[in-house]
Amino acid sequence: MLDESILARVIARALRHGGTFADVFCERRRVSAYRLQDGVIHEASTTRTIGVGVRVLVGESAGYAYSDDLEPEALLRAADAAALIARSTSTRATPAVLRVEPVVARYAGGDEAVDAAVCADLLARADVAARAFDPRVSAVNAHVSEELQEVWIATSEGRLVADRRPMVALGIQVVARGKGDRGSGYVGDGGRTSLDFFHVQTPEAMAREAARIATVNCEAVAAPSGEMPMVVGPGGGGVLLHEAVGHGLESDFNRQGTSLYSGRIGERVASDLVTICDDGSLPDERGSLSVDDEGTPGQATILVERGILRGYMQDALNAELMGAAPTGNGRRQNFRCLPQPRMCNTFMPAGASSPDEIVTSTERGIYAKSFAGGQVEISKGDFVFMVGEGYLIENGRITAPIKNATIVGNGPDAMTKVVAVGSDAQLARRHYTCGKGGQYVPVGVGMPTVKISAITVGGTGDARG
Amino acid sequence: MRVDEAVALDVARAAVATALRCGATACDATLTSARRFHVEARATTLEKLEGAVGTQLHVRVFREGRRAAFATTDLTSEGIEAGVATVVAQAAQVAVDPMAALPERFAERLPELDLFDPAVARRDDAAKIDAALELERIARAADPRIQNSAGSHVGDSVALTALANSSGFAGAYVATRVSMSAGPIAIDDGQKRVGHYGSAARRLDALEAVESVARTAARRATEMFGARKPVTARLPVIFERDVAAAVLSDLFAALSGANVAAGNSWLAGRIGERIGSPAVTVIDDGRLPGGLGSAPFDGEGVATQRTLPFEAGVLRTFLYDTYYARKLGAASTGNAGGGGVAPSNFYLAPGDRSLDELVASTARGVLVMDVIGFATEHASGTYSRGARGFYIVDGEIAYPVDEFTIAGRFAEMLAAVDGVANDLRFDGSVVSPSFRIAEMTVSGT
Repeated sequence: MLDESILARVIARALRHGGTFADVFCERRRVSAYRLQDGVIHEASTTRTIGVGVRVLVGESAGYAYSDDLEPEALLRAADAAALIARSTSTRATPAVLRVEPVVARYAGGDEAVDAAVCADLLARADVAARAFDPRVSAVNAHVSEELQEVWIATSEGRLVADRRPMVALGIQVVARGKGDRGSGYVGDGGRTSLDFFHVQTPEAMAREAARIATVNCEAVAAPSGEMPMVVGPGGGGVLLHEAVGHGLESDFNRQGTSLYSGRIGERVASDLVTICDDGSLPDERGSLSVDDEGTPGQATILVERGILRGYMQDALNAELMGAAPTGNGRRQNFRCLPQPRMCNTFMPAGASSPDEIVTSTERGIYAKSFAGGQVEISKGDFVFMVGEGYLIENGRITAPIKNATIVGNGPDAMTKVVAVGSDAQLARRHYTCGKGGQYVPVGVGMPTVKISAITVGGTGDARG
Repeated sequence: MRVDEAVALDVARAAVATALRCGATACDATLTSARRFHVEARATTLEKLEGAVGTQLHVRVFREGRRAAFATTDLTSEGIEAGVATVVAQAAQVAVDPMAALPERFAERLPELDLFDPAVARRDDAAKIDAALELERIARAADPRIQNSAGSHVGDSVALTALANSSGFAGAYVATRVSMSAGPIAIDDGQKRVGHYGSAARRLDALEAVESVARTAARRATEMFGARKPVTARLPVIFERDVAAAVLSDLFAALSGANVAAGNSWLAGRIGERIGSPAVTVIDDGRLPGGLGSAPFDGEGVATQRTLPFEAGVLRTFLYDTYYARKLGAASTGNAGGGGVAPSNFYLAPGDRSLDELVASTARGVLVMDVIGFATEHASGTYSRGARGFYIVDGEIAYPVDEFTIAGRFAEMLAAVDGVANDLRFDGSVVSPSFRIAEMTVSGT
């Protein structure tokens, strides 16, 4: 996107008041999206982002400035603004020539040209399939997007790394109207690939699943309230890991000592059935990165191994300050943002239990097949999740669907209460986006069927104690 | 790109002309350009110092009843032309929708709304850096248990908005925003607790004092130690104003014409019904002087206005942009923003009692200080959140409580509002005074 000699000049300018490190993040991104409502496509859009961010590090301090104007003068102005963090009178020497580093690509595809008709067809097929599923289906809203983000990262170490990142997503929301109540269901899927993905994962199958959840939720009874066992279904249950543990293992919180996991590497933080990994190198997944937004290759990192805390997810700044290696988790929403340590694809590998036995061994409790979202407070580890599709478990059997269940608990506490891990590990087939400090990035989550012996369920139904 | 109002309007007009040349039959273009500054301090260190000007252009094209939208940070004329040509082509996939067109009437005589404070534009970087460090120092000095921080932030922006369209409307305004927040962390018996508090305003002199922000955040970090899990029960719940504002956000979503039209609002079809208690009057005021959600015109050039969606508990109207107003047979309420229907200054009308008086008049209940979670089912109108706060016994704060949920149905919650406090402050676009709901499900042990 920019000439290498200009990048080298910007880096040199950024370190003219000293500093330990500088990098330039160049981004070009195109997103095309369509929305369907009332059976027709009623919105189409394209967004183009082009810009450059300049960062200067001085110890723990970061100076940052960006420019959407690519003229050299504007970039040098941004470098000057970022350099305000540094107060040294001496300039730090920087390489005159950048070295292009090879990248192992974890995904392919990404088209320059938008195929509008293909997008429109996916939405129309989803609408027809959802309405055909059940007469109670009263509304279908669907969206499809496909994007290509290209990034170039140049650093004061003389590295130049490029990545070309495709992304497709299809989301279908169905509202069903029963005798008494409305229910809604949502299914989404996609990844870092092309729209051909939806030849295999068809919009019809996704729409039927969303309609099925909506009709189930129509018949749902009020969720119970109080403390009880919870069985989490495979795949979507991974949101639990993301919130309950994942955020607390991001290195900024741990370097600053604000996470409850700070300084606890080597200690037991979960039951010995619990292993948690983050892996940005999985092919084509939504949270995958060939390289992160600082040019570090996406990689597999073991966070918790049989209940013992093994490591954190690192970006370059926090890794350097903690004397650790970066783990490919330095991510940013766009060129206007400083990188932060963020999750990629976070999951729990398979355990030894049979998923069926996990349910039959539960006398009463709830079965959370999927979560609609969640949030965590990282200093104490309190979390909350909203159940997207959930059921009662009565006498070892999955029975009535429940609605409006919120799960509340504490991360480390819940992880010590993991009493069974199923053999059915899988990544969630849903497109999750994670927010932190006002920045939103795509992520993946996954998990096998897991049983937590006690958790607080907040519904509007009777207390079950 | 550094722009003033005249330059911004020129860019917007040029984009409109380009779109018409590319085949659009109507078009509007909005240029926003903001100079932003942000500093984050932890202890005595500046963690982040960010400053930049960011510019973005949004173009909506209409072509024979089909519409499409384009946004870009690339303001070169080639970049605009290529992008506009792409969306005009994309529009061919969109269904013909006679409602998708520019508004018929636009804002006239733009009012002076006190949105720009030259003191913000002039403020020295060093003063902001000092304020961030001062927030850290005061919060740490407030209590010996405060030993860390999630960061103190000071930020401001000077943002220009310029809108031009093919119907001849052209308008621009400049607005300032200044904010600060603190996040001290207290440690007691090995447990960490963070306290968040902040202030935001258009004018520098409307911002809360550094000392007061730091002390409130410090108190929030320390007051939750020893929290217990409450016993599951049906109880009165008081929402402290910051949490109350989050409830109002959910209410806004249900009032949004976009959600109503999509079959995704529990309020659909209920205009004229008494839904809330008489204490529930909800206002959306786009012309509140100095309001963070105020503007002389909305995102499509329509005059902003003061609207009362709820009047003494009765649902009077939804909130609309032009498209959803046409779709639902109403008139735009000047709420076009962010590509859809957006709040201006959306709030629950304050009552006349203090929060302390509300607590004192509650025999047994919960005062909620913070909630986490965000999945509200707007279609069915159910509310459920993880929460923490204080247990009230005999009108007094008895002890802190956490790791519980509060849940209810929106219709029942609004009908059960039996007390609204007088502590409203306009530090955001969706705000609320503290209020009490006579009974909700509180789930703990």
